[in-house]
Amino acid sequence: MKNRPRLAGILPAVLLTLVSCGAPSPQNPAPSKPRVALVLKTLNSPFFIDMQKGAQAAADKLGLDLVVQAAEREVDVEKQMQIVENLIQTGVKVLLITPSGSREIVPVLAKANAAGIPVIIVDTRIDAAAATAASVKTASFIGSDNYEGGRVAGAELILATKGKANVALLEGIPGHDTGDSRLRGFKDATKDTPGVKVVASQTANWERDQGFTVFQNMLQAHPEIDALFACNDMMALGALEAIAAAGRTGKIKVIGFDAVDDARKAIETGTMVASVAQFPGDMGRLAVESASKLIKGEAVEASQQVRIELVKKAEGAK
Amino acid sequence: MKKWLLGLTHSRRAGTLVGLFLLGALLSALTPFFLTRSNLMNVMEQTAINAVIAVGMTFVILSAGIDLSVGSITALSGVVLANRLQAGWGMAPSLVAGVAIGALCGLLSGLLITRGRLPPFIATLGMMSMARGAALLFTDGRPISGFEESLRFLSTGRIAGIPVPVLLTVVLYALAIVLLNRTRFGRYVYAIGGNEEATRLSGVAVGFHKTLVYVLSGVTAALASILLTARLNSAQPIAGMMYELDAIAAVVIGGTSLTGGLGTLGGTLIGALTMGVLRNGLNLLGISSFLQQIVIGFVIIVAVLTDSLVKSKRR
Repeated sequence: MKNRPRLAGILPAVLLTLVSCGAPSPQNPAPSKPRVALVLKTLNSPFFIDMQKGAQAAADKLGLDLVVQAAEREVDVEKQMQIVENLIQTGVKVLLITPSGSREIVPVLAKANAAGIPVIIVDTRIDAAAATAASVKTASFIGSDNYEGGRVAGAELILATKGKANVALLEGIPGHDTGDSRLRGFKDATKDTPGVKVVASQTANWERDQGFTVFQNMLQAHPEIDALFACNDMMALGALEAIAAAGRTGKIKVIGFDAVDDARKAIETGTMVASVAQFPGDMGRLAVESASKLIKGEAVEASQQVRIELVKKAEGAK
Repeated sequence: MKKWLLGLTHSRRAGTLVGLFLLGALLSALTPFFLTRSNLMNVMEQTAINAVIAVGMTFVILSAGIDLSVGSITALSGVVLANRLQAGWGMAPSLVAGVAIGALCGLLSGLLITRGRLPPFIATLGMMSMARGAALLFTDGRPISGFEESLRFLSTGRIAGIPVPVLLTVVLYALAIVLLNRTRFGRYVYAIGGNEEATRLSGVAVGFHKTLVYVLSGVTAALASILLTARLNSAQPIAGMMYELDAIAAVVIGGTSLTGGLGTLGGTLIGALTMGVLRNGLNLLGISSFLQQIVIGFVIIVAVLTDSLVKSKRR
């Protein structure tokens, strides 16, 4: 017992000496390939995995060293901020980011700007007012037109219900531009159809299990619900389970967003009406291609839209 | 100060400190980006929030309790602070309002535990949910942002080249160490955690001091919310999710016993730094996010395991 403190007192000093000996000789400070960072909201959703794959394929082709990182939890924008701070230290040439918070991410983008690293925003826009206030500059935005996607979903819902529906809405995380835009598009598309009424609207935080419980509760409170628009497929798929549990499969018209594989299957079997497809792989590819252009000193467009497409059961199969 | 530094290297904490230095040495060898001034400043800044929450958590765990509500309190205090700032209350009154709501939550938990005889786990589990719900209700689920520049200073400011959040954390630790080691309250916290019944029988107002411990935990969670709100320039009702687990991890990595009565604040600070250095290093090395979670879990277990092995050897 008596010896321990003394030993422990020496060890850190020894280590510190070792460490400081090693420090002045930073071996190979930059890898031979230019390094590009892609910071995602999460890596446990098919959407972002597709984006990563698209980005990786483009990086391999263009000879870039791509580092992909994401926080443990999608809502944890402070951890995403830490990741960006840390990656700035590693001398990345361009930062590609899907912000976990449209306003909250702005301060760390200012740090990237200060370090002279161009920023490309992917998928979720940053808050324009917050960016202006912090004089943050971004090189480009790459993403779907979510507002237009919401409109397409709204038009499809009118079509599927022949203009008469008691609609439930599952929103994304409040304050995320992506979900807000989809919702706005949907509401604008349906506002002139008096038969389509929104009877319930709540967030399920983009998640499948929450989509299940929130929609189950909605069905309890509003048994008249006969249509659902979910701002992403994960929530729609959760809701489908709740519908099945209530024994009402097929009686409630469900439209989702993203057209992930499970949703496509549900559309094939007819439990789901449609989903608005995004092309995250294209977003990833375009983001890396734009990064490559920036590194070469070429210009990139300030806003680059990626196509959207309504996925529904083939006409002949009905 | 010198005594405190010596204290850092003392027995129980020694293992943790050696671990932190080993980790630092390893990272310096693996990546040239680790041992730079700006990166080390980043690590300390990134650690500040967890380290601040862990101050209150150390007192709670020393008293043989647990506080699961600190993450939610961070969110609630943050949105109250932000709301008052926007209502034009000005910096100082708004900060006080945020801290007061944190103290109130802690007081409620404390009373439920001491007067209501609820286990701390249950009382603070309930508070975790209530504070989160209150934050969501209060803001309608939306973040609040757009403040005066003076708040940003708490995040971006530098005094003598050192980031303000780091300085504030150091000041808080200095005050908390005095509170824990130099006051009657601090001695009672150790005593309650060591043997609550014996402490009660020797005439100490156990209920009062235990309640105070949870108030303190609420206050440090609220102080962390100030740093978080300044850092994000926004207060989110969904902020701070799972922060309670990070704080508990910092405390146990720092050598504090979950059964109470044994441990130090210096150890907690080292524990928080260890977690910060680990996350930072894994980012610098570009290691997959999934692997990072495994590594962090592994380190928590190894830290506590070596501690308990050392203890059982000494017996």
